[in-house]
Amino acid sequence: MQPDESPLELLRAESEQINPAIILADQLMRREATVLLTVEEVNETENILAIGTQEIEAIESHRKAFQKSPASAVDYVPVGF
Amino acid sequence: MTGLRLAAAENGKTAFGIGERMARSLEYLRFKAKSHNALHACETVSRIVSEQHKYRLFIEIFPKDWERSTKSLYRTGYFKAYSERTNEFFQLVNDKRFPLLEYWHDDPELELERFAIPPMNFDLCCEEVDFAHLRDSYLAGLMFYFLEDDEIWNYFFEKYGVEKESLPTINTAHPNIWKEKHGANAKPFSDLIRLVDHSTGNPWLDITNCQYPDLFEWDKETVDWLTEAYKAANQYFKNLEQLDRRIEEDAQTFFYELISFWNTGKVGPEGQS
Repeated sequence: MQPDESPLELLRAESEQINPAIILADQLMRREATVLLTVEEVNETENILAIGTQEIEAIESHRKAFQKSPASAVDYVPVGF
Repeated sequence: MTGLRLAAAENGKTAFGIGERMARSLEYLRFKAKSHNALHACETVSRIVSEQHKYRLFIEIFPKDWERSTKSLYRTGYFKAYSERTNEFFQLVNDKRFPLLEYWHDDPELELERFAIPPMNFDLCCEEVDFAHLRDSYLAGLMFYFLEDDEIWNYFFEKYGVEKESLPTINTAHPNIWKEKHGANAKPFSDLIRLVDHSTGNPWLDITNCQYPDLFEWDKETVDWLTEAYKAANQYFKNLEQLDRRIEEDAQTFFYELISFWNTGKVGPEGQS
């Protein structure tokens, strides 16, 4: 984390996407179990798993950063208050 | 997506019975209920890849059994982390290759991503010597490791009339007994001592209950290697039958030659190897 970036700015900088493991899991669950994965597909699956796991870890680190952030006053009253 | 589409035959083919198709749909719905969870998705992907790996091995090692199999690819079997089909594969390995589903692996919650094998040999480290369950030849090999224990000698005296005092003193092991190659006379003694010493190079014979188990990977090379090693391990014990017969025929000569081999790396006074 860069010292001049707040957790919010860091989160905004993240790409917007669904975790690719979710999409892959859905594809695999729809696939016939008897149609075996090729070596290339297994390699691709492992790559996606690595990306998916990395994304989970990134989100977890964002969450921890937010939890550590001190409260700060805002110059407007949020809707509902 | 309700999962019901998966219950219908696809591409005009009816690959499964209705029970299997319903099992597949239920499995999909269980996944779908948690599919927003990335962590669960990662676990699902890992599980599917793992299961696919086992199916590939199943086909490679037992192609006819795979063709004949009616076990579900979706319902879980005895080992709950795996489908009935993968459980069938484990059972086939156990029935046709080597012991897998005993000793370490009796917990249905267990994940068998890697597996251990049970030791076939007698443990020197933590077992009491129970003569009644050992072959005489194996017991003869043990005498080099229980030098202070007269029980073994008493046993052989009572059974064959062999006296410790009538034989050469047992010295420290001669380095040549560990040579890789021996002549026809010495080889049975070398094999016996390697077996008792757990130095055969065969995992079924060298591992003990007292050590943390070696874990093996699921691949064809490992399964084939363990299969051959298991056969060789059984042959080791089979070979003891011949040594037992030699003891029965002439125990005095047998012990003389065995101790001579231990002390000098050669068999008999002529130094035959």
